[in-house]
Amino acid sequence: MTIYPLTKTSNLHQSAKPLENKSQSVFNRDHLQQKKHRASSEFDNFNFLHTFAATCLSEKLADITHLFPNSLYIGSPLPSEHLTPLMQNGRIDNLMVMDLIKPFKTLHSHPSLIADEEQLPFANQTLDLLLCNLNLHQTNDLPGTLIQARRALKPDGLFLGAMLGGETLWQLRASFNHAEQELYAGISPHVHPFADKQQMGALMQRAGFALPVVDSEFVTVTYDNIFKLMRDLRGMAETNIITTKKTTFSIADFFQKTGQYYSDHFCDKDGKIEATFEVIFLTGWGPSSSQQKPQRPGSAKTKLADALNTKEIGTGEKTPL
Amino acid sequence: MVDIHPKLLELLVCPLTKTTLRYDRESQELVSEAAGLAYPIQDGIPVMIPSEARSIDITNGEGRQNGR
Repeated sequence: MTIYPLTKTSNLHQSAKPLENKSQSVFNRDHLQQKKHRASSEFDNFNFLHTFAATCLSEKLADITHLFPNSLYIGSPLPSEHLTPLMQNGRIDNLMVMDLIKPFKTLHSHPSLIADEEQLPFANQTLDLLLCNLNLHQTNDLPGTLIQARRALKPDGLFLGAMLGGETLWQLRASFNHAEQELYAGISPHVHPFADKQQMGALMQRAGFALPVVDSEFVTVTYDNIFKLMRDLRGMAETNIITTKKTTFSIADFFQKTGQYYSDHFCDKDGKIEATFEVIFLTGWGPSSSQQKPQRPGSAKTKLADALNTKEIGTGEKTPL
Repeated sequence: MVDIHPKLLELLVCPLTKTTLRYDRESQELVSEAAGLAYPIQDGIPVMIPSEARSIDITNGEGRQNGR
């Protein structure tokens, strides 16, 4: 079970201020920046999950007929082949690209910036479209980040995000826990805590998005062994950045035991180990008076019973058998 | 020297104070008077991360190096 720490949250009425004390943060964002740097040169070989999420985001976007003059894309890589058609027909203009590190070579045609999504450098109501590709699950203040995103949107502006969800790497988490329990008689976090779909639905509402929708897709990848899985995770800069992570392991022992448990329990019929990734997709709009809204309770002018052509049964009455 | 994209100049604000920025073309910086920080622009790419910005002394108008 994963529990996203909701204790350090910003209130809707307070300013969305990021956590400043690193000892209180769940994730070390400086480590994330370093890991992204390290992964950047060979990222193309390990970006299958980011490409998958970017493709899904582009498909969702293609269904929406709005115009997006000011658009911001957070994360890597840029799904140019999917966004280009939208840009060519003028739906997206001036797509800005933002990441924690310097963008890769392919992005030079777009206005780019380096920034932290927890400290978004955009004023209120300036963006028509905000795309977040697999970055939100590594933020310390997820509610605050979503609130900043919603504030940056113009009325009727669109937020589309992809993030890793609660079921991600559950096999690896179980194997780490088992090995650590056996070797050291205790467990510490090695796989990030991920928010689950239900929590994200609540957070999207709390952040004030209109018409929020949350859905998810599962991606199962098979590997020869745990070391190939770890190599992929390093390649996509998704390895452990938990602030309080334990670093005093006799690594060989620990990984051998973890790998053993993993291949004993989570193998497919060909003897390859399975790793699950859950990608949660978030959709929300900047609130606007032009959007559809539910009527006030009690404002109905027609009875439901009439519409269904049936007899109305009062609350005190018994249901006829 | 690659110039910063005009769209970014139009839209970017200080990530801490969300106030407007002054573009210093000569030093290639985006200056936030409210936060007392100058965000560097590297090859036309602004670095809007407060810990990587230079802190400036607003009172005498001169910048001084931030010890991070």
